[in-house]
Amino acid sequence: MTWIFLIFMAVFAVLSYLGGRRLAVRRSHGVKPHSRPGQHGLYAVIGVLAPAMAILILASVFSAPIERHLMAAGSPEVVEQLEPFRRQAFMADARRVGDGGQALQIWAAPYAELLPTEGRRAHNIHALLQWGGLTASVIAAILGGLFVFLRIRPDLRARNAVEAWVVGILFACATVAVLTTVGIIFSLVYDSLRFFGMVSPLEFLFGTQWSPQIAIRADQVGSSGAFGAVPLFAGTFLIMLIAMAVAAPVGLFSAIYLSEYASKTTRAVVKPLLEVLAGVPTVVYGFFAALTVGPALRVFFNTIGSWLVGGPLDGLGQYLMLVQNQMALVAGCVMGIMLIPFVSSLSDDIMNAVPQSLRDGSYAMGATKSETVKKVLLPAALPGIAGALLLAVSRAIGETMIVTMAAGLAAKLTLNPLETVTTVTVQIVTLLTGDQEFNSPKTLAAFGLGLTLFVVTLILNIVAMRIVATYREQYD
Amino acid sequence: MNTKLIRTPIAYGPEGQPTGAGAEHSRSVAPTVGDSARAGLGPIKISAKNIKVFYGEKQALHGVSLDIPDKAVTALIGPSGCGKSTFLRTLNRMNDTVPGARVEGRIEMDGEDINDKKVDPVLLRAQVGMVFQKPNPFPKSIFENVAYGPKIHGLASSKSELEDIVQSALKRAGLWDEVADRLHAPGTGLSGGQQQRLVIARAIAVEPEVILMDEPCSALDPIATAKIEELIDELRERYCIVIVTHSMAQAARVSQRTAFFHMGNIVETGDTEDIFTNPRERRTLDYITGRFG
Amino acid sequence: MTDAASKTGAVSARAEKLKARLKGRYAREARFKWFGRGAIAIALAFLAILLTSIVLQGYTAFYTHSLTLPVYMDPARIDQAYPQGTNFEQMVAEQQLVRMGVADDENGSKATAMRNLLSSELKFIAADRIRAQPALIGQTIPLTTPLSDDAEMYLKGKITRETPENLRRVSDQQMQWLDSLKSQGVIRAHFNSALFTKGDSTQPELAGLLGAVIGSALMLTVTALIAIPVGVFAAVWLEEYAPRNRLTAIIEVNINNLAAVPSIVYGLLGVALFINFLHLPRASPLVGGLVLALMALPTIIIATRSSLKAVPPSIRDAALAMGASRTQTVFGHVLPLAMPGVMTGSIISMAHALGETAPLLLIGMISFVPGISAAIDAPGGALPSLIYIWENASERAFHERTAAAILVLLAFMIVMNAAAILLRRRFERRW
Repeated sequence: MTWIFLIFMAVFAVLSYLGGRRLAVRRSHGVKPHSRPGQHGLYAVIGVLAPAMAILILASVFSAPIERHLMAAGSPEVVEQLEPFRRQAFMADARRVGDGGQALQIWAAPYAELLPTEGRRAHNIHALLQWGGLTASVIAAILGGLFVFLRIRPDLRARNAVEAWVVGILFACATVAVLTTVGIIFSLVYDSLRFFGMVSPLEFLFGTQWSPQIAIRADQVGSSGAFGAVPLFAGTFLIMLIAMAVAAPVGLFSAIYLSEYASKTTRAVVKPLLEVLAGVPTVVYGFFAALTVGPALRVFFNTIGSWLVGGPLDGLGQYLMLVQNQMALVAGCVMGIMLIPFVSSLSDDIMNAVPQSLRDGSYAMGATKSETVKKVLLPAALPGIAGALLLAVSRAIGETMIVTMAAGLAAKLTLNPLETVTTVTVQIVTLLTGDQEFNSPKTLAAFGLGLTLFVVTLILNIVAMRIVATYREQYD
Repeated sequence: MNTKLIRTPIAYGPEGQPTGAGAEHSRSVAPTVGDSARAGLGPIKISAKNIKVFYGEKQALHGVSLDIPDKAVTALIGPSGCGKSTFLRTLNRMNDTVPGARVEGRIEMDGEDINDKKVDPVLLRAQVGMVFQKPNPFPKSIFENVAYGPKIHGLASSKSELEDIVQSALKRAGLWDEVADRLHAPGTGLSGGQQQRLVIARAIAVEPEVILMDEPCSALDPIATAKIEELIDELRERYCIVIVTHSMAQAARVSQRTAFFHMGNIVETGDTEDIFTNPRERRTLDYITGRFG
Repeated sequence: MTDAASKTGAVSARAEKLKARLKGRYAREARFKWFGRGAIAIALAFLAILLTSIVLQGYTAFYTHSLTLPVYMDPARIDQAYPQGTNFEQMVAEQQLVRMGVADDENGSKATAMRNLLSSELKFIAADRIRAQPALIGQTIPLTTPLSDDAEMYLKGKITRETPENLRRVSDQQMQWLDSLKSQGVIRAHFNSALFTKGDSTQPELAGLLGAVIGSALMLTVTALIAIPVGVFAAVWLEEYAPRNRLTAIIEVNINNLAAVPSIVYGLLGVALFINFLHLPRASPLVGGLVLALMALPTIIIATRSSLKAVPPSIRDAALAMGASRTQTVFGHVLPLAMPGVMTGSIISMAHALGETAPLLLIGMISFVPGISAAIDAPGGALPSLIYIWENASERAFHERTAAAILVLLAFMIVMNAAAILLRRRFERRW
């Protein structure tokens, strides 16, 4: 039905274009009109489509909440008494039955009988709202068309009107980016506030116990678990450090080699290959970490452990023999590999922004290339490189798939890279992908973590971009 | 300033062997081997023979020969794109750092071919300093800028020796009085003229024998330019200086010898005064009188 | 003369001093250069290991084995009214034991062992035949069926005799049966077309990618339809119309920051806004596409802006001087000239969106969706989330399929990136 409506609207739009054009020619009476006939046509199309679309968007946004409200208002008492989660499931099943489908769950006595009647009611309310929305939209289109056709005259500034609309649409598109930010902040803050209503922010930020699944003590807040996020921050930090320890030197040295030493052909080969490394999806890195790097490193450490056992380092040997697949080192290393092209291409850009005159100055003094790089280029590029590394840190903190697949779930407060740790992003995924109850602190904790993550990465990004921008201006 | 514009004529006593058929005078038509040492000018320091430079497919110099005397300023003039900067950059092998550049011909410095495989460009550049068009102090302190060369070449064995080197280089560059109290301020914070003198100090701190200058005043205001020109005139007593300039007035003011480049060739070489008062070639006359440029 | 001589002496002494240091300096130079080479070698080695390990783990998923046996459709065991209720696997296993002359024990453990070599798909294949042709009951017909995942793993050499018998899922006897069936030519290896024609399944041997590919395609369609026009228009406004004021500055900073927001935060936005607030269907391609569109938006805006910037101002001046309005200039001249760059940027950001996983998990694409759904507003799968789900599966046979799914995902990304590169080569214009 939506399709029929859309086709109807399209036909209506074409007709109004043709009509507007015709009318503009007919009414000109030999006077030179301000705008061309086609522009009058477009003017008519806007007059028809704008109100229709506005009504349609309003209807589709608000029909779902209105529908729920109407359903809740008329539902029998037994349904009212259900827990919110069960009630939602019942309503959903009623809709399915009403639309001629099967219920997903098996409902007990009072509810099973109610399903058909409630289903019919749901079906009718839905149909009513849908038809209402579409009809209102069509009426708006017709009224808009009438209004526009009355206004078409030779002295109508149709072009200016059309262009004003175009600019308006362009501006609206630009504001989508702002609205996205507003949406992110609003949704994170809203659910975080609900979370912090149940768990104190101090406990969240400074508590060292993280076990959202089970209650540790009876008097625990929300009696559903402990929400001290410090072990998550520590785990995130540890993995970030390992990743940067891999990515910073390798990325930086590749950038130096590519920008200062490599021949054109080498660059032409190596750069696209690094781009391939950058284009590999993170879930693939996660797979690589979990099934290739993890087992390989475990075997490596177990073997070293087996050599050490019985020797002077027996304790260490025993420990190494028990190392698991899921250690911070694995996730950190693979994340480091992922970040190499990122660090390398950013640093490459930064190094290229250092003016050639500084290089010439240094070479003319009789400096070798490496002396020039170490003593002139790197000091000159230092702020820019610092900015690039900060951006990489922000990426490492926000990266999800590698850690979800390779780091593990145990919230441990440790800086030992051979231990299993968990991170903020892993916990967000875990909390939101299990059985969900939307009002439990367990689920809402994901938004608290998300807000923390967003704020930290935002600060890092803003600082880093500032630094890089100031650095670039210096050499512009 | 005006006192500098017309230089007191230098008495040239042709002492060396006369070269070329009609070269009884000090100037000659390119390509030529210039006359040798005269009073006031040192012996020939650099002798370039039939230099050709290619950038990829493009040929920038078509066989240039020039003798450059020691303890004098030699100016290279000519319209832009004529190859004068390219020639300058062959003298310390800076073209080595340009990908795709190729140099042919022989450049003798004190009788030794600097393009020889045995000659190390790093050592050569310690002997031949260079100053660029735009002042390019490193983003370091004034002290570190001047100490850069001595440090990389290991010229100072102690900290105090390094300080002495820096101080004397800054003094010789005429900058010491202006920066003595802020040696550890960043070099990029100086004015344009000061920066250019800092860069000259940086170059002379490694005790070079030759200083190449690539339009050193083109980015400076007239007062700063005057100071640099004064400095060049002082430095002439110790060094062999080659300066590329697009300003004929500057060439007339600071140099003793002038070579006129056009389209990758040297049109005319000679004593500066002769070139400007009595050019031999029509093209030189046209250029110095501003008919093209 | 003495002065000159001493000077020459000083000069040569200095030259010696410089020369002496030269060896050490060049050694440091060479070392530094090797550091750079080493770094590049490490990066490329990682890439090689990554790709090789995936290919090595995944190529075996592209072929599979099937077993063709004569099956007596025993009227005593088949209920004609409800053929899918029959335990065909047990029936076939017992018949096969008889044919091989193996006597079963009282527990029927040998029949169970034989049955475990067969895929549960056998039941549906046989039931479909009976339903189509009830007359087959009582006859002996050849049936072709996939093998179970464990049998498959043995045939592909991923389960070997070297493992002690109690630690592996295929017993010595089962191995012997499989070997003899294979030598008889009853088991045949062939291209694994099921991988490309089926949806997800809990049985690895029946699981395919088609559902996920369709889901990803639907999702990318939604993303492209929203993100490309909105992104291009936003960029046009910023580059061609925006007044230089605070608001514009805020929008610009905002877009740059959005490009660096972690993808999982977009997932949280999707959960809160599209699912909890707007009540769009969870795990549907519609929600996934919307979230990915918001993610791709900043990249497209940034790419479009840079290609608009590359159009020289002289083009705008020329059009404006001819009396064209600002809008006519932009849409008639500037945007068409920038179009190759815009398309390249859009394709690359779509390829990136194709591989994005974390937000999809949050909006619910983590649960098992059997079969193939081509609806935009019903729960569906996507390639990257399927990779995650399969990677988490305990059955060993899913490992090779995960790697195969990654290869398919990478193939799609390579095609898209190649298209972008071709587009850039074909239409690139230098001003």
